[in-house]
Amino acid sequence: MVKIFIDEKPLEVEEGTTVLNAAEQAGIDIPHLCYHSAFLPEGNCRMCLVEIEGLPKLELACSTQVREGMKISTKSEKVIEARKGVLEFLLAEHPLDCPICDKAGECKLQDYYEEYGLFESQFEESKEKREKRLKIGKNLILDQERCILCTRCVRFLRDVTRTHELGVFNRGISSEIHIYEGLSVENNYSGNLAEICPVGAITDSDFRFKTRKWFLKKEESICPLCSRGCNIYIEYHPGFPRFSVPKRVYRVKSRENQEVNGFWICDLGRYGYSYIDEGRLNQIVENVNHPLSELNLEKILLFISEKLKRLYHMKKTSHIALILNTWLSNEELFLINKIFRIDLNVEKIFFVDPPEGEKDDFLLTSERTPNKRGAEEIGFDFKPLDLETLGNGTQFLMAFGPHLSHHFSLTEIKPVFDKIETKLLFTSFSNEMNALFDIVFPTALIAEKEGSLTNLEGKVQKFSQALMPLGESQPEWKIMVDLAKKLEVNFNFYRQFSSPEIIFQEMGKEITFFEKRK
Amino acid sequence: MIEILIVFIKIIFALIWLLTLTLYLTWVERKESAVIQDRIGANRASILGIRIIGLFQPFADAIKMIFKEDFTPSFSKKFLHDLAPFLSFFFVAITISAIPFGDFISIGGKTINLLILDINVGLLFVLAMLSLGIYGILIAGWSSNNKFTLIGGLRGAAQLISYEVALGLSLIGLIMVYPSLNLSQIVHFQGELLFGVVPKWGIFLQPLGFMIFFFAALAETKRVPFDLPEGESEIIGFFTEYGGLKWGLFMMTDFMEVIIVSCLLTTLFFGGWQVPWLATDGFHFPWGGEWLLSHWVVVLFQVAAFNIKVFFFSWLQVLIRWTYPRFRYDQLMDMGWKLLIPLSLVNIVGTGILMSI
Amino acid sequence: MIKAIEYFIEILRGSVITARHFFVNMFFHILKVMGIKTKRKGAVTIQYPEEKKELASRHRSLHRLMKRENGKPRCVACMLCVTACPSECIYVEAAEDPDLEIQKYPAKFIIDLSRCCFCGFCVEACPEDAIRMDTDQIELAQYSREDLLYDLDKLIG
Repeated sequence: MVKIFIDEKPLEVEEGTTVLNAAEQAGIDIPHLCYHSAFLPEGNCRMCLVEIEGLPKLELACSTQVREGMKISTKSEKVIEARKGVLEFLLAEHPLDCPICDKAGECKLQDYYEEYGLFESQFEESKEKREKRLKIGKNLILDQERCILCTRCVRFLRDVTRTHELGVFNRGISSEIHIYEGLSVENNYSGNLAEICPVGAITDSDFRFKTRKWFLKKEESICPLCSRGCNIYIEYHPGFPRFSVPKRVYRVKSRENQEVNGFWICDLGRYGYSYIDEGRLNQIVENVNHPLSELNLEKILLFISEKLKRLYHMKKTSHIALILNTWLSNEELFLINKIFRIDLNVEKIFFVDPPEGEKDDFLLTSERTPNKRGAEEIGFDFKPLDLETLGNGTQFLMAFGPHLSHHFSLTEIKPVFDKIETKLLFTSFSNEMNALFDIVFPTALIAEKEGSLTNLEGKVQKFSQALMPLGESQPEWKIMVDLAKKLEVNFNFYRQFSSPEIIFQEMGKEITFFEKRK
Repeated sequence: MIEILIVFIKIIFALIWLLTLTLYLTWVERKESAVIQDRIGANRASILGIRIIGLFQPFADAIKMIFKEDFTPSFSKKFLHDLAPFLSFFFVAITISAIPFGDFISIGGKTINLLILDINVGLLFVLAMLSLGIYGILIAGWSSNNKFTLIGGLRGAAQLISYEVALGLSLIGLIMVYPSLNLSQIVHFQGELLFGVVPKWGIFLQPLGFMIFFFAALAETKRVPFDLPEGESEIIGFFTEYGGLKWGLFMMTDFMEVIIVSCLLTTLFFGGWQVPWLATDGFHFPWGGEWLLSHWVVVLFQVAAFNIKVFFFSWLQVLIRWTYPRFRYDQLMDMGWKLLIPLSLVNIVGTGILMSI
Repeated sequence: MIKAIEYFIEILRGSVITARHFFVNMFFHILKVMGIKTKRKGAVTIQYPEEKKELASRHRSLHRLMKRENGKPRCVACMLCVTACPSECIYVEAAEDPDLEIQKYPAKFIIDLSRCCFCGFCVEACPEDAIRMDTDQIELAQYSREDLLYDLDKLIG
């Protein structure tokens, strides 16, 4: 451990720490543009200059390691003057087209100018003209005028994806970020470039000009599109009082979690958010003329519970079948396991998941099953749907999820379903398979509910509700708790579950796998 | 038979005169308040694009009021609710029958008094009818089934009763001076001259009585400085639950009271239809001049004099209504009981002493 | 007693003042009716639909969007007006302009005048001087709310 003083504040840090990281530990913010904790410091933006006692010149905080007794000042007059100077040089060739720049509002250059700059430009010369709209990848657009040559993008492509599509070309005032001839940023992590760019040089064509950053609200969530369980931020538009915005979610950004995804997320997770707003089911659909008029969840659950109770009392629980999927959270699977497998002795439980897809050797896995490991740990044996077994004497079917259509065609599945007396579906989406069921009830997505997921490495991650459930949608855990209460089996046990958190605690008591993972 | 016809014609004429004046007093009120406040006032009502400074406004108001919903609040006493505005209206309108518009006209050897009801107790009749107007207010406040209107009605009754006393007492001095209760005789008395020059009008003989009467009569009209029963701008009054034509009747009653008060002031204190130094055959000036006129011209002079005096007092009352703020309730009661009644007693005693000298 | 008389005098003064107003104003009204022109008028009223008061030079009226020399809107859809608007009555949808110098233009620009409070913040927020409130149009009443949604065509006209 080394003892240092930052702004006369004594601090003990590990040997080999840089001044910037040490200051961060002390809660002091040193402005920086090119430094990113994922990469080695490069020191080309010169924003992080600090004054170190005994040294004649200002030093770079990002690349200077601490020494015993080092006295660093980050707010001295000299430092502030230097920051101003650096900003003036950075802005000398910067076009200042903030009104049309998507980064405005989250641009570090803008923030630092507001905080440390606020000078009038001394340059009378006109600014260099460069490429304003260079398409460098499937979703990326490079504006060379806005670029401040921090080389974060170059380093990302060099160190993280190792694909080396971008580089710094030319020298001096002519130097610019450009793409190597014949190449294009096509790797599965390209979206991260727009996120790490400290200014608006690389923008995302998926987000470009759609809205402004400050209209969006940011909520934490977990990406359910593969079994990795990357941590994400969902940025959504809360809407205007008199005008409807075309969609809720405008973009997904990565959330740092060193144990799962580091700083990054893949393009599948980043650009695949449209499922949250498109093709959703937002109201109860009734396909068979039912005696229940004006359906609501209460009536549906009463209907289910009566059916189930009758079958249970007639000792015909083998006539009950369940189709689950791994988009259900640990808590929901735990409740379903409790109610159907343990209390009702249902054996016909199948899993229908999205089909396997492409994988890469970094984050994206081939399984599109965000909670497969959780289902296994809870005790489900992972049986894929077998139409023959399903059709054999089943009278009551409860299905979850929209994924039937990925595996079966309508003609294939219809004869089997026609034999089943009562069929219910709980899904978030409307697709052609919904017509097979008597009643379809809308459910909330992972982004719209609370709970936990277990990723393929066995890491249990809790997620909180980011968005309001669409329309009449309800989270499945709530449906299950209500159903369990209606069944009147072990009423007192289910009555306590008023939130996923309580269910999770109960899970920890019963299943050792979840015991320590909180 | 012809007598009845004559009375009938007189009633028609008197009512037309009173109602037209009432209608146009609403217009005068709007215009006068506008002019006082440097505005123009309602001038948009037009017939075929002809505006004539808003003279059609009263008709527009009347049409609006006629076509508004005749609304009776639930749980109210419907009969009394309907009756109240008519009571108010009736007791005020009937007083016009005792007011002399002029002396007499003679057609074909027949002498016709320009007065509907020539009774010996004319003054008492007028006072009695005016005080009966309280019932309209009380019934309106009570039958609306609304505690605020009831309180408004009670406030109105209290105010009217308080000022009724001063109103009656202030006239006793007058009756002592002109020993008659017959209004046409009182007017005749006022045709005589004081010291041979000044006409013997009530204002000169009873200045204090005039002031008390004027204040008390203003309070009787329930208009702005004394508008506690109604209080349209903030405190809620007795006709809150009225709308349309029934409310219109209350409003007309208000304006009609202004005219009746002007008539009374004219008749009692300003010589009624008397023009100074005008006798039945023409002017006899105290400095010796003479200007003989025919009968019809004299009648014209008399009627015109009466009308001009009435117009002036109506104008004055509107001016007062647009000048002063409302009294506080305790001030109102103080003024009635502690100022006007003692003063009117002083007036009676003083008049008695002066007359005995 | 003296005080009471003083009060009484003051009360009389009050009616003298109103009466003076009445007679002075009537005098000028009569002069006007007789066709004599005077500098002073009997009333301060402006007969609105026929007579109109001149608007102050810094008044705020209906918005307009400014044009570039080639007739396109000067607006770059930066949405700062949307941000500044306290009544949230502006809606802008941006689109990509082929012109590299412009890049961004408003595909939709709607002002909901039924919500607008005419504070002028949008004008102050605009970095491009693309929106102004100087059209002198202050009579904006409509028979339906939809008619108060002013879109790009109406605003730029």
